[in-house]
Amino acid sequence: MNIDPKTLAAPRERKASTMAVDPVTSEVIRGEMETVCFEMAVFVSRTATTPILNQSNERNATILDASGRLAALSVGIPQFMLTSTLPVRFALDFLGPDEFRPGDVFVSNDPYHGGGHLPDYNVFAPIFATDSDGSSKMVLIASIQCHHGDTGGAVPGGYNVTANDVWGEGSRWPVVKVVDQGVERRDVLYAMAVNNRLPDHAGDLRAQIGAAQLAVRRLEDMILRHSAETVEASVDYMIDYASRRFREEVSAWPDGSYSAECFVDHDPLGNPDVRLACTITVAGEDLCIDFTGSDTRQELQAWSTYGNTRGYTVGQIAAMMDPDIPKNEGFFESIELIIPEGCVLNPVANRPVSAGTHHPGAEVGEVIALALQGVLPKRAVPQVYKTGIPTVIMGTDPHTGLQFTDHSAEVYAGWCNAAYGMDAWGCQAAAFGNLWKATAEINESLYPHIQWARDYRTDSGGAGEWRGLCGSHYIKEVRVDARVYTYVVGMKYPMPGIAGGHSGEPNKLVLRDGDADEVVVAHTADWIPLQAGQRIRYDYGGGGGWGDPLNRDPQAVLDDVLDEYVSHEAAESEYGVVLTGSLDDLSLALDLAQTTALRTELRAKRADSAQSDSAQSDSAQTDSAQIDGAQ
Amino acid sequence: MSGYRVGIDVGGTFTDLICVTPEGRVLLDKTATTPEDQSVGVMNGLALLAQREGREVDEFCSLIEVLVHGTTTADNTMIEMDGAITGMLVTEGHRDEIEMRRVHKEQIWDPSYPAPAPIARRRARIPIPQRMDYLGEELLALDEAAVRCGVQRLKQLGVESIAVVFLFSFVDPSHELRAREIILEEYPEVAHISLSHEVMARGPEFERTSTTLVNAYTAPRITMYVEQLEQKLQSAGCTAPLLLMQATGGVMPPSYVSHRAVTLLGSGPTGGVIGAARAAAEAGVTEFVAIDMGGTSFDICLVRDGLPEVKADWNWRYRYYIGLPMVDIQCIGAGGGSIARVRQGTLLVGPESAGAQPGPACYGRGGTRPTVTDADAVLGYLRPTGFADGRMDLDLEAAREAIRTEVAGPLGVDLIAAAWGIERIVNANMAAATRKVLAGYGADARELSLIAYGGNGAVHAWAIAEELGVTRVLIPRAAPVFSALGLLIADYRVDLQLAHVSPIRLVDPAQLHRMLTDLSAEAVAELNPAQLNPDQIEIQLFVQMAYPGQNFDLSVPVPSAGETSEFLVELIERFHDQHLAERGFAFRENSPLLRGVRALVTGSTPHPPTLAESAGVKDLEGARTGYRPVHFGSGFVESPTFDGGLLGAGIRVTGPALIEERFTVIVIPPGWTAELLESSSFELSKD
Repeated sequence: MNIDPKTLAAPRERKASTMAVDPVTSEVIRGEMETVCFEMAVFVSRTATTPILNQSNERNATILDASGRLAALSVGIPQFMLTSTLPVRFALDFLGPDEFRPGDVFVSNDPYHGGGHLPDYNVFAPIFATDSDGSSKMVLIASIQCHHGDTGGAVPGGYNVTANDVWGEGSRWPVVKVVDQGVERRDVLYAMAVNNRLPDHAGDLRAQIGAAQLAVRRLEDMILRHSAETVEASVDYMIDYASRRFREEVSAWPDGSYSAECFVDHDPLGNPDVRLACTITVAGEDLCIDFTGSDTRQELQAWSTYGNTRGYTVGQIAAMMDPDIPKNEGFFESIELIIPEGCVLNPVANRPVSAGTHHPGAEVGEVIALALQGVLPKRAVPQVYKTGIPTVIMGTDPHTGLQFTDHSAEVYAGWCNAAYGMDAWGCQAAAFGNLWKATAEINESLYPHIQWARDYRTDSGGAGEWRGLCGSHYIKEVRVDARVYTYVVGMKYPMPGIAGGHSGEPNKLVLRDGDADEVVVAHTADWIPLQAGQRIRYDYGGGGGWGDPLNRDPQAVLDDVLDEYVSHEAAESEYGVVLTGSLDDLSLALDLAQTTALRTELRAKRADSAQSDSAQSDSAQTDSAQIDGAQ
Repeated sequence: MSGYRVGIDVGGTFTDLICVTPEGRVLLDKTATTPEDQSVGVMNGLALLAQREGREVDEFCSLIEVLVHGTTTADNTMIEMDGAITGMLVTEGHRDEIEMRRVHKEQIWDPSYPAPAPIARRRARIPIPQRMDYLGEELLALDEAAVRCGVQRLKQLGVESIAVVFLFSFVDPSHELRAREIILEEYPEVAHISLSHEVMARGPEFERTSTTLVNAYTAPRITMYVEQLEQKLQSAGCTAPLLLMQATGGVMPPSYVSHRAVTLLGSGPTGGVIGAARAAAEAGVTEFVAIDMGGTSFDICLVRDGLPEVKADWNWRYRYYIGLPMVDIQCIGAGGGSIARVRQGTLLVGPESAGAQPGPACYGRGGTRPTVTDADAVLGYLRPTGFADGRMDLDLEAAREAIRTEVAGPLGVDLIAAAWGIERIVNANMAAATRKVLAGYGADARELSLIAYGGNGAVHAWAIAEELGVTRVLIPRAAPVFSALGLLIADYRVDLQLAHVSPIRLVDPAQLHRMLTDLSAEAVAELNPAQLNPDQIEIQLFVQMAYPGQNFDLSVPVPSAGETSEFLVELIERFHDQHLAERGFAFRENSPLLRGVRALVTGSTPHPPTLAESAGVKDLEGARTGYRPVHFGSGFVESPTFDGGLLGAGIRVTGPALIEERFTVIVIPPGWTAELLESSSFELSKD
């Protein structure tokens, strides 16, 4: 079966008759729908049976209309919430609306039927209204998508980074009805349970089913209070409103075509320099995003599906607009998206995708931010991570004698870019702010490990007028013999600086750190053994800086040195700020005269080298000219 | 002998007063808050009460039997971020927990959303080599020289207050205790030291770090404020004990609170919820949502089985995590002062507020932006003359003008439609926030009553109820000073925890018994200053348990701790059952972890006999003051107004009607009826 993702993604008909709705009512209904999304997410947290669901907060709740248009969303990770609509549309198209009946609940997880990768299970249920003549019609669909800890297949955990195709990654469920008009399909749920290693997989699915059913009850009430026509008209109104706001934002951007490229270091097999290319064309209020030119090597192991690429695209664009614009179909409808089939961002059917959802998926945000940095410098903050896949540590628990699998999902800082007017803070980009990761005290209570450090690494954040966030210096010691499985990116291509800011420091993962047999991971670690007492050192990459570091307020640089985000040496070499005294005795002070002189000198040097380089790269010149103009 | 019992709640705009006289009468009043030094307003309030009793201030003060105080000092410190200059000693390698926040950020769509203001900047977070593991085994000895150097460095940085946060200190506190000794040797004049295991005796470290830092940051100011207040009270002749309201919903003397400053966050709103629980109990209601709508904020608290939900997790206050049990009061920016504006054709209300200055346009203090109160005024809810206990007349034309210019014009609708639009949005926002709180507990609004108070609660209660599908609303007559009332009802409350992490099957029951006994003795000792009789003291013991891997502990009640292994077996069963009941599932094949013990000790205080000043008139006509047109959603309806002060218990008022009280007005729409209960609350019910 080959399903054309572009057909799934194409604009769909609005449901409302011409009935007008007042803005106040539609705002009230939007608020109610967002609350229902929140309720679905909370329900999953309260009832799910595995830590990956009940603790990580990785659950994405949305509400669609009967055409499959996104009506509302709230808690979750933006990219994933935005990706979760296409599987529902596949179900609508494949089964036809007549197969959607009151009391039904569906499950899907397939990357080639609208999804991103197999671990993301989407559970959705239709909401009906009864007309005065007794007939009923579908008005909304509630959907809750969660990342599960296993997908069956060859390798535990859902990430088989050597799979040749999607079948090697686990069980595929394009769409199955798990509750039929209120009656649970035991045969189907049993089949799904059998196709998964985790004994609690079924429990987690039930938590999602319960959440969707809760949303059905809430939304039925809402429809009773307002009438189906009013709800439909409100959904259309809010989509139009989002569209209008979106187009107004775009129309304020200068017309033109803006291109950029970026790279993933390598795929998990070591194929180097996976290329993403993007051309963004602004014409009046129209926005076209074209990924033509992205990598087409068919031997690559990690691919981002059309739906995944689309979700990451809108996630990044949304982060570059007024955050108050309601997130709904209006965003999708306002973007013309071109992703040639066969490129790494829109694979031909059945290519492996488990790692590709993240890389090149995440880099979609990066390349868009890079393309638009010239025209939208103040909004260009890539909502990106350079995780690779989790650092999985496996061994035997000395207390229980059982095997443990530590996904190293505890807190660390990395890859968070500065924004215009604001140094980067926290530990990840804003889009991941709904996560709630584990700590040393949690991790060490579960696994025989000691986490010696995860502090910010001095000088790892990209220099800029506003500074990129430092990455963590992360050290974990295993107290028993263990093995490590992972995939690392962001070593050759760290987080880029924006608008003249410097890039962050790259990732670096060292196993058996400091020992004679230490290993610096080149692209993957395939169950590399560690002895008890050996250490893993992960120097996580920093975020990129924003703007020219020579424009940074010297007082802020002094503060950064006092706070050890920046070293005394880097203050001079990167920022051109001359400090006297020493950090040790807190006698540091600014020498403003020397600073001015040094900055003048550095600028002159830079102009010289730019002149000698100009023959080779005039595009860089154009970029910086645009940036100056935009400021 | 019995004297005056006084409750004083300091809010943002008003200091609310309640006083129960020796004869059992209840006085309510309000005076302006004095933000510079809140104790001035407190003393003004006492003078006001003395005056109403016809006594000199010092005579009145000498007759006070107990004075219970709700203060916003801790909250204001966190709002203004002007607490003590704070430093920190922290396990090396874990210096940046407080900035990393377990990845949490409040705004996922806004990459420019700024960081919270720091309590201790990175330079003042000194890494100390030392390390315990999760069982309290010392992996690395405390580097005492590093502590000494660190303290000197903090001193050099001008630090006044020091937090000490070492990993697993709640399992073995010896390194933190030794660090305190060294701090006092090196820096004897330090204003305050917070040891993390004393502030929050459990993991994980981000939560403990955040809580400890907030404690260290607020404690010096609270200590100073309480000392000032005690001094003023003493010089006014007051010898009665001063008690402070805590976020746990209980009161304690200053000696206890000054070391646990963080427990004073949300002191005032907590009083309101305690008051609501009492008012509800007297009306026979045990399942309800308490809503407090003031000038700038709307507070929500779910109460089930008569007890406010106390939450030990996910308590964020002012962008910091507070890992202590707190009455779960959620707050959004919606109130009378919330400003309405039109953006791209959509009407938005709040969270920006006009505050007390300039205030709503109709206050005539120079405000030109339309607020919820302006819409209330235009729609006829508010008394145009003699507003706020006769202290002001409303400038209706200013309200109309503001709404016309900023809302009606841009939306292209008439004035009344615009005003009604403002009502609908703010009511929908409050209803949505309420539903969100209920969602967190899996509660359904339609099965609950609503208890509304605060200056604007009585005006908007009916509309919020309609949105939520609630058909029964209680509005206590003391609503405008409700938080102060709650203070007089709250009991003493000490809530202590002791961590002890172990798989349950490795636990020695005798040791568990000893831990429970010791902790409960420690908690009871905290109540000594209150000089209670043993029969006033109630002790509840809990064992903290979780499945391996879980973030959140359950408090499993232990009616009596046995010393045998049967006790442990029973405890495990009870944990599974409770997990099933509260979280919807149980892993009966899994062996839970013991995570610690908890002692909750309450000491009961005498409660005021009635909730508000009583009135006598049973004759509705005699209380009627006139008519005015009021808009409830479909055109203006001529509605009678009544003087609430003249109404007696049992009287029924059918909507549309307005009952005007001294500091608020109770709005009764068509289709609703209000009855004044014996317990001095109005009960609104939908026909």
